[in-house]
Amino acid sequence: MNNKNKLKLFLVDDDALYLKLLEIEFMQHDEFIFESFATGELCVENLLHKPDVIILDYHLDSVEKNAMNGIDTLDKIKTYNPDIPVVMLSSQDKIEVAINCMHHKAFDYIVKSETAFLRLQKVIKTIFHTRKIEKTLDWYMEKL
Amino acid sequence: MKRTELHESYYASSLIEASLDPLIAISMNGKITDLNQAKVNITGIDREKLIGTNFYDYFTEPQKALELCREVFAKGSISDSPLTFRHKNGNLTNVLFNGSVFKDDSGLVLGAVVVARDIAEQKWATDLRIANKELAFQNDEKEKRAAELILANKELAFQNDEKEKRAAELILANKELIFQNNEKEKRAAELILANKELIFQNDEKEKRAAELILANKELVFQKDEKGKRAAELIIADKELVYQQDEKEKRAAELIIADKELVYQQDEKEKRAAELIIADKELLFQQDEKRKRAAELIIANKELAFQNDEKEKRAAELIIANYARSLIEASLDPLFTINLEGKITDMNNASVNITGVSREGLIGTDFFDYFTEPQKAREVYKEVFANGFVADYPLTIRDGKLTDVLFNGSVYKDDTGNVLGVVVVARDITEQKRIATELTEAIVFAELAVGIAEEAKTKAESATLLAENAVKAKQQFLSNMSHEIRTPMNAIIGFTKVLLKTDLSAKQKEYLTAIKMSGDSLIVLINDILDLAKVDAGKMIFEQVPFKMSLSISAMLHLFETKILEKNLELVRKYDKRIPEVLVGDPVRLHQIILNLVSNAVKFTNKGKITVSVTLLEEDEEKATIEFGVSDTGIGIAENKMDKIFENFQQASSGTSRLYGGTGLGLAIVKQLVEPQGGSVRVESEINKGSIFSFVLSFLKTKSEADGESGILELDREVKNIKVLVVEDIALNQLLMRTLLDDFGFECDIAANGKIAIEKMQNKPYDVVLMDLQMPEMNGFEATEYIRNSMKSKIPIIALTADVTTVDLAKCKAVGMNDYIAKPVDERILYVKIVGLVKKPLVTNAKEDTEKDTNDSPKLKCTDLKYLNTRTKSNPVLMMEMISLYLAQTPVLVSSMKQGFLDNDWSSLQAAVHKMIPSFVIMGINPDFENMARKVQEYANIQQQSDGIYDLVLQLESVCVQACTELKEEYNRIKNSKK
Repeated sequence: MNNKNKLKLFLVDDDALYLKLLEIEFMQHDEFIFESFATGELCVENLLHKPDVIILDYHLDSVEKNAMNGIDTLDKIKTYNPDIPVVMLSSQDKIEVAINCMHHKAFDYIVKSETAFLRLQKVIKTIFHTRKIEKTLDWYMEKL
Repeated sequence: MKRTELHESYYASSLIEASLDPLIAISMNGKITDLNQAKVNITGIDREKLIGTNFYDYFTEPQKALELCREVFAKGSISDSPLTFRHKNGNLTNVLFNGSVFKDDSGLVLGAVVVARDIAEQKWATDLRIANKELAFQNDEKEKRAAELILANKELAFQNDEKEKRAAELILANKELIFQNNEKEKRAAELILANKELIFQNDEKEKRAAELILANKELVFQKDEKGKRAAELIIADKELVYQQDEKEKRAAELIIADKELVYQQDEKEKRAAELIIADKELLFQQDEKRKRAAELIIANKELAFQNDEKEKRAAELIIANYARSLIEASLDPLFTINLEGKITDMNNASVNITGVSREGLIGTDFFDYFTEPQKAREVYKEVFANGFVADYPLTIRDGKLTDVLFNGSVYKDDTGNVLGVVVVARDITEQKRIATELTEAIVFAELAVGIAEEAKTKAESATLLAENAVKAKQQFLSNMSHEIRTPMNAIIGFTKVLLKTDLSAKQKEYLTAIKMSGDSLIVLINDILDLAKVDAGKMIFEQVPFKMSLSISAMLHLFETKILEKNLELVRKYDKRIPEVLVGDPVRLHQIILNLVSNAVKFTNKGKITVSVTLLEEDEEKATIEFGVSDTGIGIAENKMDKIFENFQQASSGTSRLYGGTGLGLAIVKQLVEPQGGSVRVESEINKGSIFSFVLSFLKTKSEADGESGILELDREVKNIKVLVVEDIALNQLLMRTLLDDFGFECDIAANGKIAIEKMQNKPYDVVLMDLQMPEMNGFEATEYIRNSMKSKIPIIALTADVTTVDLAKCKAVGMNDYIAKPVDERILYVKIVGLVKKPLVTNAKEDTEKDTNDSPKLKCTDLKYLNTRTKSNPVLMMEMISLYLAQTPVLVSSMKQGFLDNDWSSLQAAVHKMIPSFVIMGINPDFENMARKVQEYANIQQQSDGIYDLVLQLESVCVQACTELKEEYNRIKNSKK
């Protein structure tokens, strides 16, 4: 309907099954529209569509060996526009992975587990909350 | 239109002419331009002559009139300014001058209209009112004063009455007082007369007021006359007649107003009017009144003085009388002594205590009445020295020597001279006695308290001891059951095993004896344990569905041998109406009937035993059933019937010697029936037999009876069951192996939970028999691991020696399916194993009839619960997900396998990595996910390991199985969607 008010998500995962699951998840929430990409390359190519949030798999090169991996994609996105929040997804529950993601300016890092969707929702909420706060802060700073 | 205007102007001018108030229209320069008849009347000058003249010329104060005229033009209006008209014959008329300008259509001021209201009458009425008010006020004042006097008189009369009453009592003593009273009464009479006079005068005033009304009426009449004369004067003019009528009406209204005024002011006004006319009279009367009032005041003063005097005297007399009564009423002896120490007066108590008459006492020396006259004299001196003495102990020398507390004080005359001493001697004999008793009582009370506290301490320590004893008892029972059951388990078990070997007749006989002894010992232990549980409130009744008829018949089978041995007949009466499945505690029901039947068998040597189950009542919710066990045994004496339900009681002390048993059976029956809301009844006749019966209610249910709770028919056909026995004690291991071999089951032994888990990972089993207490890893831990980490649903039966409810609850909590108490009854063991193993076989058979039922059940590895939740059971989404999985998984599996075979770690790692989320999505056991992670780790560190191939194979197999299942599932969803 009125897609202008909806939040645009990019879902990026080379695991078609999981990608589908993500789609199903966000389909059930009316406030989102999303575009899904199986590779980081496709995601970067489509950044013109101005996503509000990108949910990006950490391992994007498990099927195609030469594919761009999650971190590379993250870097590309951040070069394109450092303000797009990117949430990293991974099936690895490892601190190194998490730190690595954070170093590359991911907004958050979520392990693909049973609770992943709950966490995702929370993170997205947090993103917009943070963004709102930042905007207010900027406004006040300008005033100052 | 025109006519209307004319009509209106005519009407207006009529109104103007009709007005009794002079109306004048004046021009800006103060000339009269128009006027009405009233103006003509008030000035006595013709209308024509008035017009064009200066209007202010007709007032006494032309200057003021002129100013008012200017004010009208200045302000536009003026109201109620007082002025006076001058009639040409010199009559003056006071008016209130009201004026307002009148303007033409364009708002230009044309002139002013002036109304001059005749206020002569108004003024007169106001003056009259003021005068009346003043008079009324004065009259009020006078009346008030008169009323006050009356009140004063009344008050006096009242006081006098009061005093008279008092004085009357004293009349004999005071004649003068009576005379004065008479005087007073006369005065009072005079006052009454004066009051009457006043009333008479008031009446007079009222009459005068009536006369005033008459005068008013005369005035009215004169006014009428005046009106008539005025009418004659303007007889030619009808309008004037009309005006005169109007005037008359107004005069009448005035009269009414006057009457109203008079009426409203009522009595006061009447009197006031009278006062105006008869002012002098009143003044005179008032003078008289004043004089009389003055006289009255003087008289009052005199009276007051006399009253005071009287009061004083009366008070004195009353005090004297009252004091005398008090003194006489006092139980304490009271004396007055003069300066010489002689008794001058005393009360009755003194007479009583000394035993000497009043006359005999007066004038005697008061010291003589004390045991210590010297001391008494000192006290007496002390009184004179100090003015008083308090609580000085002395003893009155009477017949019985009364102890008193001596209190005294001097009394003086008006001038302060000491006249003597008043002495009170309080009899303290009673006090002393009470004090002594009190002291004794206190001592006793203290002693009692001491004893009570001691008793309390003893009781507390006893309670503590008792509590400890109860705890110790429970602990002991619990320990005992465990400690005894374990060896008994071995003894009975091996005896049974031994009995199956080739034995000589003798050996067999001995072994049978051993077994029977062991059996009865176990029964005893179970009984004691049950009672202990009931005592500790730990007996919990289950509510499970079970088949009543099956349950009863299975239980009765147990007695078949024994009954045959004793050559008895067993009659079974089962009510066919009883619902097949009921909800209750079948184990406890067994126990109850078992106890009753075993008693019946025990105490019956010939004849028959009847077990009856009868439906008493049935409604929608529950069925009430009566169970009866009757025998033809030795019976119970009537006086023993109450006792047989007590612990360790049998009908006679000889019974246990003859028949054995502990006497716990019936106690247990009672303890089991009553908490379930039933009651046990017994009828018996010595040597004829006994009937035990109890009634219990069971809830009805539609659900199927739980297989495990009913006793299943033995199915000897079931073979090839793989049993894992987890048991640390070698003896028990051996016993279990023997039993299971006997059943034809395959049996592996693990010495503890850890070994068991290892074994389970390598070989599939159908059922696990798990001991609870083991070294390394006990039964609870092992079960928890099997259920939670291995995600295995394999049936687990606990083997426990300590059947406390806590343990059972724990067994269920960790996920065990059932338990068997040690020593293990082979029959129960068999039933439970078969019951548990058979169930999944049955369900499996339904799903896949082609599969061999003897195969171990192949459980589904996938569970679409997660997917259902995620997609909210949306079939389209489900199908999409499943088809994606089906497309992706084989690729991943082959990639994984290839990667492993090629030692291509990164592709192995990537394939397995991608596989990981799918396990959760498809509800595959997390063990596999963990395996995948393990593989991933190995791949990460690029290290070949022994286990990894096995893991890869397992993953492959589960994925293949999952794909098969999911294909079916996909088709199922697809079909159901259509």
